[in-house]
Amino acid sequence: MSEMIEIIVDGESYTAEEGSRLIDLLIQEKIKVPYFCYHESLGADGNCRMCMVGIKGQKRPQIACDTFITKDMFVDTKNDTIQKVQTDILELELINHPVDCPVCDQAGECSLQDFYMDYGLHNSKITISEKVKHNKALDLGSNVMLDQERCVLCARCTRFTDKITHTHELGIIGRGDDAKVSTMPGRKLDNAYAMNVVDLCPVGALTSKDFRFSQRVWFLKTAESICHGCSKGCNIYIDHNKLKYKDDVIYRFRPRRNDDVNGFFMCDDGRLSYKELQVNRQENILYKNEELTEDEAIKEFKNKIDKYANNTTIIVDANLYTEEIEAILEFAIEIDAQLISPLKIYEDEDFKDDMLKSSQRAANYQTIKRLNIANSTSTKSDLIINFNHPSEINANEKISFLTHKSDSLELIFPIAAFSESSGTLVSEDGITGKCQKAIDKNNPAPTIIEWLKKVRA
Amino acid sequence: MRDCRLVSRKFDIKNSFKIDIAKEHGAYKTLDKAYALKPLEIVEIIKESNLRGKGGGGASAGDKWALMPQESDKPSFLAVNCDESEPGTFKDRQIISKDPHLLIEGILITCHAIKAKHAYIYIRGEYKQYQDILQTAIDEAYSDGLLRECDITIHRGAGAYICGEKSALLESMEGKRGHPRLKPKQKEPEWFFDNPTLVNNVETIASVPFIVQNGAQAYRDFGTEQSPGTLLFAMSGHVQNPGVYEAEFGTSMMEYINHFGDGVKNGKKLKAVIPGGVSCGVLTADECENLTLDYEALRSIGSSLGTGGMILMDEDTDMVEALKNILEFYHEESCGQCTPCREGTGWSDKIVAKILAKKGTKEDIDKLFDLADVMNGKTICVFAPSVSVVIVSFITKFRDEFEAIL
Amino acid sequence: MSFSFNEENLVKIEELKKRYPSPNALNLPCLWMAQYQEGYISIDAIDEIARIIHMPSMEVYRVATFYTMFHLEPQDKLIVDVCKTLSCKLCGSDEILNHLQNKDVRVRHVECLGSCGTAPVMQINDEYYENLDTKKVDEILGEML
Repeated sequence: MSEMIEIIVDGESYTAEEGSRLIDLLIQEKIKVPYFCYHESLGADGNCRMCMVGIKGQKRPQIACDTFITKDMFVDTKNDTIQKVQTDILELELINHPVDCPVCDQAGECSLQDFYMDYGLHNSKITISEKVKHNKALDLGSNVMLDQERCVLCARCTRFTDKITHTHELGIIGRGDDAKVSTMPGRKLDNAYAMNVVDLCPVGALTSKDFRFSQRVWFLKTAESICHGCSKGCNIYIDHNKLKYKDDVIYRFRPRRNDDVNGFFMCDDGRLSYKELQVNRQENILYKNEELTEDEAIKEFKNKIDKYANNTTIIVDANLYTEEIEAILEFAIEIDAQLISPLKIYEDEDFKDDMLKSSQRAANYQTIKRLNIANSTSTKSDLIINFNHPSEINANEKISFLTHKSDSLELIFPIAAFSESSGTLVSEDGITGKCQKAIDKNNPAPTIIEWLKKVRA
Repeated sequence: MRDCRLVSRKFDIKNSFKIDIAKEHGAYKTLDKAYALKPLEIVEIIKESNLRGKGGGGASAGDKWALMPQESDKPSFLAVNCDESEPGTFKDRQIISKDPHLLIEGILITCHAIKAKHAYIYIRGEYKQYQDILQTAIDEAYSDGLLRECDITIHRGAGAYICGEKSALLESMEGKRGHPRLKPKQKEPEWFFDNPTLVNNVETIASVPFIVQNGAQAYRDFGTEQSPGTLLFAMSGHVQNPGVYEAEFGTSMMEYINHFGDGVKNGKKLKAVIPGGVSCGVLTADECENLTLDYEALRSIGSSLGTGGMILMDEDTDMVEALKNILEFYHEESCGQCTPCREGTGWSDKIVAKILAKKGTKEDIDKLFDLADVMNGKTICVFAPSVSVVIVSFITKFRDEFEAIL
Repeated sequence: MSFSFNEENLVKIEELKKRYPSPNALNLPCLWMAQYQEGYISIDAIDEIARIIHMPSMEVYRVATFYTMFHLEPQDKLIVDVCKTLSCKLCGSDEILNHLQNKDVRVRHVECLGSCGTAPVMQINDEYYENLDTKKVDEILGEML
């Protein structure tokens, strides 16, 4: 560990580790400096030349991503020379950039747009009209679309496939202003984390085919949550919006940075798992395939509990929130029911990899373990109450609380999915994560905790 | 003008590339003396001689040599830069085809000085026929037992001017695209697969045998105080006798042109000279009147000596077309890694095309100066600053021609 | 259709591997060998080179696209590279270029070939043809076509 030293940036004093990158300090302290090619997970490449700052003692401006903190360093990020450099280089980035903003998905979260507002606002001095032409809608595979004309050649995507996934599908080919990002002829982008390049791309060159043209980002609302695809607990953002006369809908998951869990990334399976939260949902209370009112259903529920007292098993899904599992445990004790949560069904050795994906696909199995809930499949009871567990264990009677539709004739209560309520999870590494409620449906299903209150009332 | 043929002495001898003929005329006679000296002693001699790199930069060769470690657990290497792609320059090819054994001798002495066991000669892809001559010479040297201390491998490029930049050359040899590297903050050697490596131009290395044989002072007897020794200057374009002719630094440019080149072709008047390969600021004929061919003189009038490859332009030359021609070259050869160069070379080329098509405006000329400013000092390597110098010198000195066709 | 180097090239590759600290350095030499062997560099050749030098195929491919002298498509006509840079232009390369338009060759305008003193110049395969005029061009092409 190097020592912590003091340096001055724009007249203010900051402490930083000696030898660390200057740009890391600027980002951390939220000192505005434009950059394209630097990324904390990928390191510096020094090719965009946007992050130039003035260092006392150096004749020329230096790029902050390749400047390392030394004692008595004086940094200036705002003087006239620097501002002119930033404006000029930005103009060069724009010279061959197509004016696609009206049709480009990146609008609203585009670095080029943001920097233009902060450092550009040029009067267009571009007197030539022939921009360099490339391919505009290349389907790279894995839900990634490439527009070579929009690309600023920051090389983040190629460095991602080289250094992070080691799959090497993407590269910059050609030379000079004919250089472009591409795959090898006839080959596709094909790895489990491919869609992360869409997040990494600072402009609209790489976009998600899944999200393409579906929503303008400034209409989206964002909630912080955790992916339920496996027990890794990758932190995510849930982006959703409620259009007029429609329901509140999730448009995409994005990874949320957490240096202790998933870093900057998430796997494609998890990223696309938002879809299953919106299809085939259990909407109504059903019994023998007929709809019941809430009162009728609760009455039926209480009857069955009484009928099968001391003869009931509760099965609980290991994907539920900790608060929900604890509430179910309390209920099980109250009605003296056996409580189990078979975990084998969640295991998937094929899913596991050496990056983020875990073979244990239940998001909250650590809580099951902590509460000593039995990991067993055997039950002699005549009544099973199933709180969203995927297993097929049956008995004479079954009551289920489900997020998704089922064919059976049992008594079924619809419940809120994780995106429709808030709670906490504990990941396989023992890290507790909080999930915010994201979706506010027009006709929301009650949460498990709300149902348990109702049945006790 | 006195005889200054330190490097080109054997050029006119028939079959001088064959080892027996070369040896008859003194090839390899310095090896015994060099091997008897300690490596650091040779580095000192080179430093004392103030031998300056002849690839275009003119930096002190001895200082570069001194950066190589004398003790290291990693092997050291020498990379000889024969990528010679600077327009107007065709001198290194003379050495490798007419006196390759001089180069080999220089390599062996240099490797002894920097304790390298292997030297690579990076040769541009287009020079295949000269590469064959050089390879034969290396094979002859091998058979003669000369390559026991140090082996030599030719590494062929494939058509990229930027691979003449020393860090891009090493990237290319490492099997990657020829992208120049970010420059380190402190002085250190170059790195080839993380091993310390010295990169020097062909002519620089070919100068080493003379210096070690005759001593640093003998080299300094030629040239000027700060630019000692000689250079294989060249002339092309509108000159009567184009070619490569070695001369000492400090020679008057006009005397050189008249003595070796027989003046401007077809008896025309001289209009402009680009002094050392196109990456130098263009000079008007007036500026050349009292100019001497050395690094300091060229720097003091805002240009540079570069590789010493002079391109002469006569009174009928259209300077706007000449600038366009050069900008096309830069547009084609930019590696594309960093933004100012990649976009700036393309854009400036297109603007001059517009001017040539008689659609140019005053704003276009202002824009060219703007671009020259952005490309100066903000990029990874010195390619873009060269473009900047070219644009500014052409438009400033021949402004009337540009304005006339707006 | 898969690619493999012929015997002679395989021997050269083994010899070259001993001369560099890493097999990665053989990227350029292997690309040249493949081009001489097949007339161009196919994707199969790129995959094979990648295997031999322990680099990803994409890295070999992006190197191949970086350099002017590599052909990634089969060539149907004779390629004539004419230098168009300043010294050659000042000495009449335009005339040579115009003259070649009527010939059954593929003309490429290339940048400085390093032959400025003997301008104008063209390169065909590995040979330079210097001090050109239209008559010489006809003589040279006459023998080849």
